Order: sequence, then structure tokens, then C-alpha cells
Amino acid sequence: MVNIQKWDWNTKEKMVADTTGWPNQFEDVQEPYVSPDGEKIASIVKQGEGEYSVCVNGETWEEPFEKLWSCRFTPDGRVSVMSSRDMEWTMTVDGEPWETAYEYIWDPKFSADGKLIVATVKQDDIFGIVTNGTTWECPTELQSISSFVMTPDAQTVAAIAQTVPLGQADVDTYYKGTWSIVVNGKPWENNYVNLYGVAVSDDGSTVAAEHRAAITDHTILVNGVPWSEMYSCTWEPMFHPKKNDEVTAPVRQGGKWYLATNGRIVWDRGYVNILNPRYNVDGTKIAAVVATSFAKWTVAVDDKPWSCTFGECVLPPCFDSQGVTAVAIARDSGKWFMVADGKVIGDPCDNIWPPVFSPDGDKMFYKIEKNGKFYIAVNGKIATGAYDMLWDPILSTNGADVLIRGIEDGKYYRRVVASAAM
Amino acid sequence: MKPTVVKRDLVEDYAIDEGVKKLTPERIEKVVNDVIDNETAGRLWTYLNTCIHCGLCAEACQWYISNDRDVSYAPVTKVKDTIWPMIEKKGKVDAEFIKRAAVISFTECSVCRRCGMYCPFGIDIAYMLLMVRRICARLDMVPLYLQDTVHSHAATMNQMWVKPDEWIDTLQWQEEEAQGYVPTSRIPLEKEGAEIMYSVIGPEPKFLAQLLGNISVIMKVADQDWTMPAYAGWDNSNMAMYSGDFEVMARVERLHHETAQRLKVKKIVMGECGHAFRGAEYDGPTWLGWMSPPIPLIHAIEFYEELLRTGRIKIAKKIEGPVTVQDPCNVVRNRGLGDKLRYIMNAVCEDFVDVSPNKRFNYCCNAGGGVINCGPPWKKKRVEGNRIKAEQLKRTGAHTVVTPCHNCHSGIEDIVDTFKLGMHVKFFSELLIEAMDIPANLKA
Amino acid sequence: MYEFVRGPLALIAFIIFFAGSIYRIAYMLKGAKKDKIVFSHMSWKHSLASLVHWLIPFNNQYMRRRPIFTVVTFAFHICLVIGPLLLLGHVMLIQESWNISWWTLSETLVDWMTVVVIAGAAFFLYRRLSDPVVKNVTDSSDYILLAITVLPFITGFVAYHQLFAYKTMLIIHILAGEIMLIAIPFTRLSHMLFFAFTRTYYGSESGLVRHSKDW
Ligand code: HEM
Ligand code: SF4
Ligand code: SF4
Ligand code: SF4
Repeated sequence: MVNIQKWDWNTKEKMVADTTGWPNQFEDVQEPYVSPDGEKIASIVKQGEGEYSVCVNGETWEEPFEKLWSCRFTPDGRVSVMSSRDMEWTMTVDGEPWETAYEYIWDPKFSADGKLIVATVKQDDIFGIVTNGTTWECPTELQSISSFVMTPDAQTVAAIAQTVPLGQADVDTYYKGTWSIVVNGKPWENNYVNLYGVAVSDDGSTVAAEHRAAITDHTILVNGVPWSEMYSCTWEPMFHPKKNDEVTAPVRQGGKWYLATNGRIVWDRGYVNILNPRYNVDGTKIAAVVATSFAKWTVAVDDKPWSCTFGECVLPPCFDSQGVTAVAIARDSGKWFMVADGKVIGDPCDNIWPPVFSPDGDKMFYKIEKNGKFYIAVNGKIATGAYDMLWDPILSTNGADVLIRGIEDGKYYRRVVASAAM
Repeated sequence: MKPTVVKRDLVEDYAIDEGVKKLTPERIEKVVNDVIDNETAGRLWTYLNTCIHCGLCAEACQWYISNDRDVSYAPVTKVKDTIWPMIEKKGKVDAEFIKRAAVISFTECSVCRRCGMYCPFGIDIAYMLLMVRRICARLDMVPLYLQDTVHSHAATMNQMWVKPDEWIDTLQWQEEEAQGYVPTSRIPLEKEGAEIMYSVIGPEPKFLAQLLGNISVIMKVADQDWTMPAYAGWDNSNMAMYSGDFEVMARVERLHHETAQRLKVKKIVMGECGHAFRGAEYDGPTWLGWMSPPIPLIHAIEFYEELLRTGRIKIAKKIEGPVTVQDPCNVVRNRGLGDKLRYIMNAVCEDFVDVSPNKRFNYCCNAGGGVINCGPPWKKKRVEGNRIKAEQLKRTGAHTVVTPCHNCHSGIEDIVDTFKLGMHVKFFSELLIEAMDIPANLKA
Repeated sequence: MYEFVRGPLALIAFIIFFAGSIYRIAYMLKGAKKDKIVFSHMSWKHSLASLVHWLIPFNNQYMRRRPIFTVVTFAFHICLVIGPLLLLGHVMLIQESWNISWWTLSETLVDWMTVVVIAGAAFFLYRRLSDPVVKNVTDSSDYILLAITVLPFITGFVAYHQLFAYKTMLIIHILAGEIMLIAIPFTRLSHMLFFAFTRTYYGSESGLVRHSKDW
């Protein structure tokens, strides 16, 4: 983890950069991103035909690139971007490209401390996973990688990968299985028809995924071992935060959805759908998005749905920092609502982002959009002025201060506000 | 009731021909009854108990009319030869019967829902034929090429086996192409909080990449805040909906809509495709429990209509000469966009010649509903089975027919070739690019 | 015999007709609920619009394209339902039995309506035998249903005009009517019960969900 207490929590307001002039300076300026600590703002800029750079706080990198995409800050505040020179691609961090270049590179993910950057690469038509410039060693020539997940420390990376080449319209080979899970370069023993929703336990010891064997035959695999039950459909599994041998997933049987743990139904009420279950911090509760009947969406906590329902959708729920209150963002009649424990908090908005919680769990801080302007709201009340662009708020470790990063009239400000004052 | 006598050329299809060998009476019975008892309910039951066998639906079907009113192509016949006996005999039908049911439901009906408009009771025959497909799919009796497409959806979450790197690479290549017209054109990838997520169908990056360049120019000229996903979820098409593999259909749609949620956009605008609209707007969400897409979805026709009506895009020079249009069932009859389609046609064409019948009464192109995806073995029957479409287009005397739907586009191209109509087949965006005004400050 | 068919048997027929109809509609609604989307797709506005376009002759494109059929089927159904209901003889019988009565039409008019029903049935029979599509989906049940429908009218006509054996004819007529009543809920004649539901569902789905029209 990044030690955020080391950040500057004393300067109340800092105008980090005035971006108003940027469009005149460059042929084109792409959307900006800001560092987690708020000290930097960066945009990919076009300097000329086939000449791209990143402008960080007004300064561009020395050597331009032919192409750049996906400008993202690492958790420790470095600018990462995928870059191309001479038809080859690599990761460039703070202007420095990795030594090795690839046919292609995409889908970067960062370790929690920001030290490791992991991404998918393709070289000589073989797919692989690269960590800080080192590609994993895999005995199988992977034909594709559809997605990957990793532990927070990025030491274990598990990917859904195509392990067997497949010819055009070759249904027979397809049914024999052409996909497997590859963990740190080591494929599972078997190949499968389809795999989805790969998940890894935080300690990296266990990997789970959905297996679709045939049209209505689905189950969950844990380290390559299937659950004893088959289901007509499943959604992605998740791990208990404390127990690496407890895997839970929504499963469909007889036209209804249930939640099952290690192959045993634990939510037996039966829903029209169950999406995105989430544990609380210590794993004592599960909240999931459910449809109690057609087009009636809400959150169920431990199989008890909230009484209010929403007509359009509910986004993945979360729990407060104490693990008590379940919170979700819901949509009805074209508006978004923040909902906590079944109660709508505050006014409807044009958009709402997921909240961060104070250490005691009493307050939640989140970004909202109203009439094209952005604000930070606290427990339903707007607590800042209007911004033209705004990033998620960040709380100091003790919860005393809130870091607000936003753009007003083209000027990017970094502000620290006492949370008690919000 | 005796099965209908049919005269057809024998068509070889590896998946069907092999699949039929693996069917056993027990398996057929189990699957048929499971689907009928557990996956259908009130609607099917009521339709069966209401249909008075009056045959009024026949006149609706382009297959029936084009094949000189061959009764075996009448909508009610297709039901009679498939689901009626399955229910009457409680699933005790043989393998050859299932084979015929697969051929009927996949290759002789485009589930276009025209017949529903002709039945005095409003019996939804297309729905019943989709349930027949569902039964066939669960018996592994799906035509080879359609099944392969579904395998692509299941494995890659796109229709055309497009690998993750190919997708992004294609977008970046097309972005460069677009910059040839308008130097600041961009295809913004993964831009969270944009107003619009633009999604397309798998064949665009695979075969019709220039459409991606076109949209990049259009978006720039219209000054839209938009984005495209860089990762799986970008494909809005759905052949699994048509093969009867509803689980894969739902997985694909869920990913597409959750991608829009992840990108925090206000709406999804999709390219010119009819079936993809149906899957993303109706069939997919319905299976998942959503009344409509959680983030609203807008078809290209609606999007262009808004841009033209509000003057965000101005026309510099209208397309000359007679131009006609194909009303895609899934956005016109099944979505009511007929008037908007005419608005945009008139906006960019000097001489728009309408078809007759038109709007919701239009004849299907015969390619939709997964029929064209059944591949080359079934092409002859599909194209020849839509003679009236050729005649209808010919009557317009147009030099170009606009097809705001990918399946229609391919289907109409086949018809134009086979019946030697000598017309160009174009997407609306291709006309728009030609006709629209590019403001001086954006020009290269 | 006459007393039996017009007394207890008539009562039983009516009970079966009403109870059967209620049962079948309830069964259908239960199924519709299991279909999970049906009720959320329903809309009063679009239901009404659909009914207006399909219950008024020539009020949809399809009917305009088939004028002869449209005239025949409307004439047939109107006469079929209205004729027996507003026939003086029937109303008197009902008044005798249960002491309720209503307004009636002239006997001559109803006589002509009967002829229309019989002629309509003849037209349908002809279609069934001659139209290849209809013929192909016809089996004995379709002829039986047509017979069940038309028999009360033929026998009623014969009895009314006392063409022969009035008493026997009358008994057969009543029996035929009772068979028809009983058959309605349990055969495809139940389209009379379900018409309103299939029509309004399709209208609602087309209008509310698909933003289009079903006529
Ligand atoms: C009052 C509600 C009713 C409605 C809305 C209705 C509607 C229809 C419709 C839409 C058709 C389809 C073909 C056509 O238009 O002719 C039809 C056919 C038919 N109806 Fe009805 N009907 C009703 C009542 C009845 C009753 C009470 C009977 C007889 C007991 C009946 C007997 C028939 C027959 C025999 C046909 C078949 C025609 C053929 O053989 O093609 N209907 N009805
Ligand atoms: S092709 Fe269209 S009109 Fe013909 S049966 Fe199928 S859904 Fe009906
Ligand atoms: S028009 Fe309707 S009632 Fe008549 S045969 Fe066709 S589906 Fe059956
Ligand atoms: S391809 Fe086009 S015309 Fe054909 S069914 Fe689809 S939308 Fe209809």
C-alpha cells in the first residue's frame, strides 16, 4: 500500500496547473488524469503529425512518441502510458520506455504500492503477461488472453488464456477445450470449453473461475477442481476476504438465481437475477444486486432484499469501512440515487460515483454530477463548490482530512478540507 | 396432422448432419419437455390454444410469397411442423423431425415478426420459432457457421474471433485514417465519464474498419463527447440470441451494459445494426431482468436524426440521383424508427425514393435472425427466397440502397448480385460522410 | 327429453361454460405470471389502441387488403354472437328459467343472421378445402370445431321454419347449442376468451416496449 500519510495534508489549496493554455500549445489535448496525491495533472498531447507526448503540469516529455494511449497514474504517482515507436509498443513510465518492446501491449494493472505494472502483451503472435518489463515464462504458446486478475501485491497473476490453436469453424476442437487458466505462467492441467470470471484469493494460493462446459452446463472451478453441482448458468465467483477456501458465486437453477458457496446454496430465496455480490471487510456479510421480480432491482444483504426497488438498475454494492452498512448506487426513471441500507440518501443526480468512508463508517464522501457540474457530496449533501472536472475524494488515514482534486475554469486545484467541516 | 410435404434441395451442414447422429429419443424427449415446461409459460400455451388455423399469417412472409406461395414457408406451417407435434407428442419426436425443425427455424425464418402483424390474434410466431431454436440449440443442432459465431461470442465476447489486441490496433489505425480528413479526429478509448459510449458489432473491426474511421470524423464534426471501450464489452452484437443459447446471449449483453456502467456514460450509441439493437435493447435485458438497458441505448438512426435536426451536422452537398432504403425490421417494425429514418434520408439525399410497402410493413431482407450467419450452405435458399425484395427494390429505380443494419447490408448485397439489380448498397454513415459539411477550422 | 335438455342440461352447459371459461382464463393468467415479463409489458393505452384497430372492420392495413374475408368474418362473428343472444325465443326461455330478460331483435332479422352464420361457415369450409395453406394446417379437429359452431344455427334454422320433425329438431338444436357452449372453453373456440388477451399483449409489447404499432 502507498503510505498516503506522507502526502501534503497541510496546504489547504494549491493551483497545481492552469490548463487553459494547453490547447493553444498543442495540436490536440486529450482528457486529463491526476495523480492520487493530487500533485500532478497529465494529458496526452499531439505535437505534430505522428508526434505525441504527455504534458505533466505543463511540461512535456523530451522525446515524442509515434502514438500513445491509456495515460494512467500508478498508485505511487508515476505517469504510465502505452507508447509506440517504429511500429513496436511498450509501457512508458514518466517518459522512460521499458527496455523491451512488443507487438502489442494492453490492459495495464498496478500493484497496490504502485511499484509493479502488469499488462497483457503479444509477441510473435504469442500472448503473455508482463510485469515491469519481464514476460512470464509459459511452456504453452498462448493463442490469446481474454482477461487476467492479480493479487494486490501483483505477485500472483492468473489469466484466462487460449492454450490450443483453433481453426476456422472447428467445432470439434472447440468442444474438446481450448482454454485454460494460467497462473504465473503455469497452465492448469486441463483445457476447457469456456472460462469466465477468474478470481484469485488475496494470498495468491487459490484461483477460481466459471466453467461453461455446454449450453446449460456451468460450474465453478477452484484450482482446477469443479464443484460437485452443475448449474444452467453462473456468474463470476468471489473469495471470502479471510478464507482462501471459501468461494461464492451466483448460480442459476430452474430459471432462478441463488448464491452458492463451495457448491452449496446459501441464498435460497431465488431471484430473477443476482449480480455482483460483495463481502464486507471481515467476510461476515454479503451484499448483492438482485432483481426480486422482473425489472425490480434492489440490494439483498444475506439474502434479505431491501424493501425499496429501482426500475432501471443497481450498481455493485459495497459496505462501509466497519462492514455494517451496505451502500449502492441505483437508477430509476433516468436518475441516479445513493442508497444506504435501503434508504435513499440525498437528491437524485445525473451521475454518482462510488463512495469512500470515514474510518468509523459514519460518513461517506462521493463524487456526483448535476447539470453538467461536479461536486463532492457527503451523506447526501453537496459539500463543495461546482467543478468542471473532478476526481474521487481521498481520505487521510485518520479520516481527518479530505483531498479534493478538481478543475475549475481550466485551473486544476488540489484542496485539503477538514472532513468535519464537510 | 400429417407433416407438410416439402421439396428442397439437400443442404449439407456439418454440425446438423453430425448432430443428428448423436440424438437419442430419450435426450430429445427430455430437452423438449424441459424447455416447454420450464422455459416457456403463458404465452406459448395461450398461442397454441388460440391459433384457429386460419392461415392469415401466410401473406406476411417474404419466404412464402417469394417461393410462389409454397405452403411449407407459411408462418403457421413452420409452427405446425415444429412445435405443435413436439407438444402434442410430449417430446416423443424422432431425430429426423428435430433436424427438420432446425432447418425450418434457423434457415427458413428470420424471426422478423412481420407475421405477428398479420395474425388477427397477434400470435407471435417468431417467438415460437425462437423457442424451437432454443430446443435445437440444447440438442446441439445449430447450423455450423451460426454455432461457430456463437462460439466466438462465448470465447471472446465478440462475434468475429477478434483478439483483444486486434481490436485496439484497428481503432488506432482507423483513427489515423480519420485524421487524414480531420486532423484532430480521435477515437477516445476508455474515457470514463464521457457522454456517449459508442459500440459496434464484431464485423466492423474485422471487415468494415472504415466505418470506425467514419464515425470518428462524424463525432468530431458534431463535437460529441464520446468514448469506446478498449476491452471486451465493445461488441453489441449477439448471435447467441438467435442460436437459442440464451445463457451466452445474456453474458454478452451483461458485459456490454456493464461496460457502459463502468465507463459512467450517459448513453450508449450503437452503429447501424438491427439485430444488435434487438439483442442489446430487448432480448438480452429481458433475460437479465432489465426492462430496458440500464444505460439507455440509442440506435445510429436516432443519433443521426438528432445530429441533423439540431444542426450539429450540416449538409454541404446532398447525394444526387435516386436513393432508396431498406427498413431493418429490428429497428423499424420492432422499434418504430421508420419516420426518423426517412428524415435522415431526405436530409442527405436529393431524391429519396421510398420503397413500397415501407416502414413497419417492409419486407425483411431474409438475412436477419441469424439466417445469413448459417453461412454459405444456406445462402442460395436465403437469397432466392426473397425475390419480392429484389422486385421491390427494382421498382424504386434507385442507384443506391441504404441499409442501416449490417445483416440487411450483407443480405441486400447478395440480393443485388443474384438478381442483377446493379445497385450500390451503403450504410447511412457512408452517405453522411460524403454529404456533410466539414467546418473550415477542422479541415486538414 | 325436451324438458331434460332445456332444463338441467342447459343449466349444466351454462355452468360448464362460465366456470370453464373462468378456469381457463385463470390458468392463462397464472402462466402469464410465470412468463415473468408479460405483466410489465402490458399497457392500457396500447391495449386499447390495438383493440380499436382490430375490432373495427377495415381499421388496419391487413383488413383493407382482404376486403372479402374481412366482411365475411365480421358478419359471421357478429351474427354468431348477437343473433342467439337477442333472439326472442332464447330470451323467453331464459326468463322462464331464471327470470331475467333483455331487449330482442325481430325474428326475421335473426333469421337472416342465422343464414349469414351458415353462409360464413360455408365460406370458411370452402377456404379450408381450397386454400393450400389452410388445408395444410387443417385436421379433423378443425372440421369438428366448424361443425360445432354451425350446427346450432343450421338446426335452429330448420326448426324455426319447421322444415321437418319440429320437436326432434328442436331437441337437437338445443343439444347442439349446449355442446357449443361446453366446447368454447376447452377447445380452440376458446379464442373467444383469449382474443382480448393475446391482442392486448401484442399491442402492448409492440407499443410500449418496441415503440411501434401492431396494425
Ligand atoms: C366474441 C369473440 C370472438 C372473437 C373476437 C373471435 C375472433 C376470431 C378470429 C380473429 C378468427 C380468425 C379468423 C377470422 O377472422 O375469421 C376467428 C375464427 C373463427 N371463429 Fe371466432 N371469435 C369470437 C367468437 C367465436 C365464437 C363464440 C365462435 C363459435 C363458437 C367462433 C367460431 C369461429 C370459427 C369456427 C372460426 C374459424 C374460421 C375458420 O375456420 O377459418 N368465434 N374468430
Ligand atoms: S420470416 Fe418473418 S414473417 Fe416469415 S415466419 Fe418468420 S417471422 Fe414470420
Ligand atoms: S393468423 Fe394467427 S390464428 Fe391464423 S393461423 Fe396464423 S397464427 Fe394461427
Ligand atoms: S437483417 Fe435487417 S431486415 Fe433482416 S431481420 Fe434484421 S433487421 Fe430485419
